[in-house]
Amino acid sequence: MKRSLLALSFIKRGVSSVLILFLTVSFLFVLVRIAPGDPAQKYLSPNLSPQLIEKVKSSFQLDKPIAEQYISFVKNAFTGDFGVSYKYHRPVNEVIFEVLPFTIFFSLSAFSIQFLGGALLALWAFHHHRKLLDRILSRGSIILYAVPSFVSGLFFVYLFSVQLKLFPSSGIKSIGTLEENILFLSLDYLHHLFLPLLVLSLTGLPVYFKYFREQFEEHQQKLYAFYLRANGVSERRIYLSHLIPNSLNSIIAFAGVDLGILFSGALITEVVFSLPGMGRLTVNAILEHDYPLIIGCTLTAGILIILTNLLADLIRMKIDKRLVKGLIN
Amino acid sequence: MSITRRNIFIYFLLLSSVFIGCKKESSLSNATVVVAIPSDIERINPLFAFSINEANINELLFLSLVKHSWDEKAGDLKTEPMLANSWEWNTDSSSITFDLRSDVKWSDDVPLTIDDVIFSFDVYSDPVVESYLYGTFLCFNTDKDNHIIAEKTFEKLSETKLKIFFAPGSSPSLFNLDFPIVPKHIFDKIPRKDIATAKESFTPVTSGPFMFEKWERNQAIIIKENPKSFLHKDGNVGRIIFKVIPDYNSRLTQLKNNEVDIAEYLKPEDVDELKKSNSFVIASLKGREYDYLGWNNLDKEKHKKNKSIVPNKFFGSAKVRQALSMALNRNEIVSSYLRGYGELANSPISPIFKNAVDEKLQPYAFDLAKAKILLAEEGWGDKDNNGILEKNGEEFKFTLTISSNNPRRIFAATLFKNTLKQLGVEMKIEQVELGMLIDRINNKNADAWMASWIIPIPLDLKFSWYSNLATTPMNFPSYQNKELDALLDKLETKISKQQKNEIYKKIESILYGDQPVTFLYWIDNIVAYNKKIKNIEVTPLGTIHHCWLWR
Repeated sequence: MKRSLLALSFIKRGVSSVLILFLTVSFLFVLVRIAPGDPAQKYLSPNLSPQLIEKVKSSFQLDKPIAEQYISFVKNAFTGDFGVSYKYHRPVNEVIFEVLPFTIFFSLSAFSIQFLGGALLALWAFHHHRKLLDRILSRGSIILYAVPSFVSGLFFVYLFSVQLKLFPSSGIKSIGTLEENILFLSLDYLHHLFLPLLVLSLTGLPVYFKYFREQFEEHQQKLYAFYLRANGVSERRIYLSHLIPNSLNSIIAFAGVDLGILFSGALITEVVFSLPGMGRLTVNAILEHDYPLIIGCTLTAGILIILTNLLADLIRMKIDKRLVKGLIN
Repeated sequence: MSITRRNIFIYFLLLSSVFIGCKKESSLSNATVVVAIPSDIERINPLFAFSINEANINELLFLSLVKHSWDEKAGDLKTEPMLANSWEWNTDSSSITFDLRSDVKWSDDVPLTIDDVIFSFDVYSDPVVESYLYGTFLCFNTDKDNHIIAEKTFEKLSETKLKIFFAPGSSPSLFNLDFPIVPKHIFDKIPRKDIATAKESFTPVTSGPFMFEKWERNQAIIIKENPKSFLHKDGNVGRIIFKVIPDYNSRLTQLKNNEVDIAEYLKPEDVDELKKSNSFVIASLKGREYDYLGWNNLDKEKHKKNKSIVPNKFFGSAKVRQALSMALNRNEIVSSYLRGYGELANSPISPIFKNAVDEKLQPYAFDLAKAKILLAEEGWGDKDNNGILEKNGEEFKFTLTISSNNPRRIFAATLFKNTLKQLGVEMKIEQVELGMLIDRINNKNADAWMASWIIPIPLDLKFSWYSNLATTPMNFPSYQNKELDALLDKLETKISKQQKNEIYKKIESILYGDQPVTFLYWIDNIVAYNKKIKNIEVTPLGTIHHCWLWR
């Protein structure tokens, strides 16, 4: 009974998510078309014939009324066809799936460093509660949070690439290498992604540090912590079995949203390090008025945010069974 | 604790040495040149070479009938043989006969023949294909859809001789025939409407001095030498990597770090530091792009309503436009912002066309007193002493639209705003996204704007200065001048080069006097390349042009 109610609540959530995605995409479909400029604008050139612009507009179906374009889009979307990108001249799905694996790998790596690094640093700081180390880490995290990623990116490139010549300044692998050895290629990826991961991780690490640090502080003051200590339970056990699991609950809810946003692209890091991610793809699609790709990127980002939120809720329910009851009710 | 820290340090050093080892292994041979490009290309198919980078790459992969290089001395194009050994015009230039090379093969070893040439003309002009040349075959016999009629155009005289007939009354040149030839045996199998998206448009079969090697999307395009090409020479550049680096600072860093060998469109303020390193040659590609202040010559509302030609209340008068041209200290911008990497512009005719420009014309000097007199002559005066000129009860107030991502134009616009204030003209600056600016200019929704033009080679003025707005959508200021129209029409007739140059000088004089827009300055494209590359020529045709000659 409880399981079927839970399944029903997830189905309801799934339906509402699909509806939200559909409305978002429909709104965006109209918005990009009524915004100034159009995809044929880039064909405005002294070297090109004005007739070509008309031909291109016609083949993009931009000469048809928006309502007609929308009906055609919805019909195709239900079969999973989001059209052909105006810039890449290939199906939108294909273009997105080309950058998605890298984006997911890059985002997950950065997220893991942020989350685990934040937690470990918070534990370390909390272990030295109100001592010098705690103060240094707390103040340092604020300073780190205030540094924009394009500044830290350029600084690390200057230090590690230009001065120390330890890491390449851009790209995800050596270009033009004929090497096919897996170990070499893996190290090459790692070599190239070290700086971008460092930069992207440093933007989120202070946030997780602060969250964990505050949660530990809050739960340390709770009655159950005093009760456990009074009963002679070891500090290690209090931390591992009670303090950390209880603190995790609210942090995971935030992490679900954060991971979804990271999946949508880390634009600045991608631009500074010339990485082929979702952020660059989406912004270029907007700047070039590539309507099918804008819709495709938005939909992908929406799906990923919904999925990461769902995953976060499942983890939270696993940690705290009371949430299952709340969800059914 | 200290042991752990020491271990971590040692691990880091070990890891770094592995990384450094990786870098050494992956370093490129001397025969490889890395060119930084700001954005990825869309396709590797000459039919769709819309951007400059696509055109550059396709020129290296595909042969044309003839090739053009820049004659610095004459300030004009020079035609040389390529796929054609030789050619001969008939007496009235109504046809041309080409003698083609018989030793050229495609990269899949299929011989390149006359059929490929005829097919190329056909497919480029086919409206279904939507090639970048569609609608430009004006000298040919075409149908109502501008598609070349093969039967009326080509005569195959032998396996290597091809005669091409032009439309009666047209004045063709070899430039009309300089475009990359595409493989018939590849594209003939694909429905014409699908060529744009076919996989053959991304992994091409080529005929040029270079062959396609690899395309890592949004990362790099790699091409390698074609040892079978008649243009191939041992010891010349063997491989070119076009590396996609969207961020300007990253491009500059990689140039300084020797991760790339050539970078273009450098900022003048970065040149001194590059010069200090002594590893680079700094060159200027001159006279291809100019900034201008655009004035809507027509009343946009009335024109939009019923296409009527009514002068704009501010910018409809040539004298007012002249006064505005005198109100901007362009020398200040060239010397302080462009740091000398530019020169003042008189007209849209670039100084690189040495025989077409009128050297007697002097740029409008910065002269507020004279500007005031010209405005007064047109009835603009400050009768109410509020510091703003007025005429027929209307104050001289307007908005200048500029793109928000261009610091040079923001600087110039701010300078202009301040000097206009002294003249009694109030100008508001509106910064908008580039797409929105183009949309406004294109739909004639802006009164005044600042933008730039990249001029075509060979010289072409009709596309932007002909009065008929229906056939000349790129006449953004809606400039009207019947005398100029007649001269532009005359350029399309069969006249000598010298006569053409005389007409260009007359056109320049008219545009200089009328100032339909304020021609500001020609901006140099500053190029830096590694000294290890020899035999490189930076000409108005570009840096990458004919790079199979690089050593």
